[in-house]
Order: sequence, then C-alpha cells, then structure tokens
Amino acid sequence: MLALARLDGSAHGMIVRREIEDRTGRNISIGAVYATLDRLEAKGYVSSFTGEPTPERGGRAKRLFRVEAAGKRALQVSEQTIRNMTAGLKSRWEGI
Amino acid sequence: MRRKSPPAFACWFLESVIPVPYREAMLGDLIEEYTLRAESASSLAASRWFWGQACRSVPSMVWSALRSRDWLISISTAIGVYIVMRMLEFAADSTISRLVAPRPMTYVVLAPVVFLTITSIGGWVAARIRRGATIFLALIVMITVTVAIYMKVCTIPVPWWYEFGFLTLGPLSVLLTPAVFGVPKANC
Repeated sequence: MLALARLDGSAHGMIVRREIEDRTGRNISIGAVYATLDRLEAKGYVSSFTGEPTPERGGRAKRLFRVEAAGKRALQVSEQTIRNMTAGLKSRWEGI
Repeated sequence: MRRKSPPAFACWFLESVIPVPYREAMLGDLIEEYTLRAESASSLAASRWFWGQACRSVPSMVWSALRSRDWLISISTAIGVYIVMRMLEFAADSTISRLVAPRPMTYVVLAPVVFLTITSIGGWVAARIRRGATIFLALIVMITVTVAIYMKVCTIPVPWWYEFGFLTLGPLSVLLTPAVFGVPKANC
C-alpha cells in the first residue's frame, strides 16, 4: 500500500511491483502484488477500476488501483506505530 | 515488425491458475513488461523473466484462489468432466471387446490408446468450460491411476513402464492438449 501511495493517482500491478523493486531491491512476483492488492481492496483500503485494452498488452485491459481514505488512515496509524516502537532504538543499534 | 510473444505454455499455465477477477489485468501486465524487456534485451532473457514470474506467482495465486472459493467451481467442473470421461472409457472398452476378440494382448495395446485419447479430450473440454479445472482434472487422473496401480486393477501381467506411462502421460495429456490445440485466449 505504501508503494501505491507513493505513486500519485492510480497505478497498475506492474508499476507497483517496479516501485517495490526499486525502493527495496527485492524482486517480488506480480502474483504476490495482485494477491495483496486484492486483499487490500476487500478491506476497503484501495479501490480499482478497469482501463482500456491496448495492443501492447495482448488486448488485455489494465486494472488500476488507488489508495482510498481508509487506506491512508491505516497507513498513518501504521507509520505512527512504527515510529513509536522504534523511538530511541537508533542509538542502541549504532553500537552493534 | 512482428511483435514478440511470451512463451505460449507459460501464458496458458498462468491462465489456468490466476483467479478470474484479475486474470486479464495480471496477464496484460506480464505481457506488457515482457514486450519491453524483449525489445531492450533479448527474447531469451525476457522469456526467462516471464517464466520466473509465472512460477513464483503460483503460490500467491493458488492461495488467493483458495480464499476466494474459486477452486470449488473448478474442482466441481473437473469432477463432472472426469465422470463423463470414465463413462466414455467404459463405452469404448465395451465396444472394443465386442468388435475384437477379448485377447489380453489386444487389450494391452488398445487400453493406452483409448485412455490417452479420452484424457486429451477431457483436458480440452475442461479447459473450454473453465481453465482452472484442467489442473484439478490432471490431479484426479493421477490419483485414480495411482489407486488403480496400487490395487492391481489390471490383472494382465505388464511391465512397470507400461503402468508408469499411464501415471505420467495421463495427467500430461490433460494439461498439454488445451495448450497444443488451443483454447480461446490461450494465445498471448
């Protein structure tokens, strides 16, 4: 969801996959991206709509996702939780 | 210039496992990325990438399909097709017994021909009804052949490779026939 939030507006699965790969260096599968986006959509955190089919895609339509208000709130809560839990840890890690 | 196409079998395989709600979108994404990679690098590297994505996506797709209960429809289709296949096989066996003398050697030669013809047709029909059903149909064929071998249903003494042929070629014919003879949209 963070990757989707970083991409302004809406994005399809492969763009989300590339964003995660570029940011984390992890080579993830497109199947994992779609399975996650599908779960997030079921929770109401993201929504999707179908784009136009193009010849480059073998005549298949894009499914574009965007983060909804509930998703943005959930991200803010997660970010705050991580911030609270990691506060003061940096100085300890520096010694390791 | 002719557009480069991703591996047809990988496409067909993905169409069999990707749940319906995002089958079109996910395959479209993969084809688009494949085309970009094939143009910037080589077709071989792009094909390797495509196969890698296809194989690594399977666990997520299977888990997603199980959660969405999509598999129930696929397994029901596979069971339905399997029942029809068995009925056809029984009818074919009965006809052969009537037409030719019921000698063991005749049966040993004709049984695999009938079996593979019917499993191939079954695989093609299952793929036409519901693409995800072919995987389940192949599994059902594999399980039933294993049980038949274990319970020694065949009373005629045959070499091990004869039974092994049924066990491997049966599920393979179910899976490969739709890919080879084509089912609508299997092409990328």
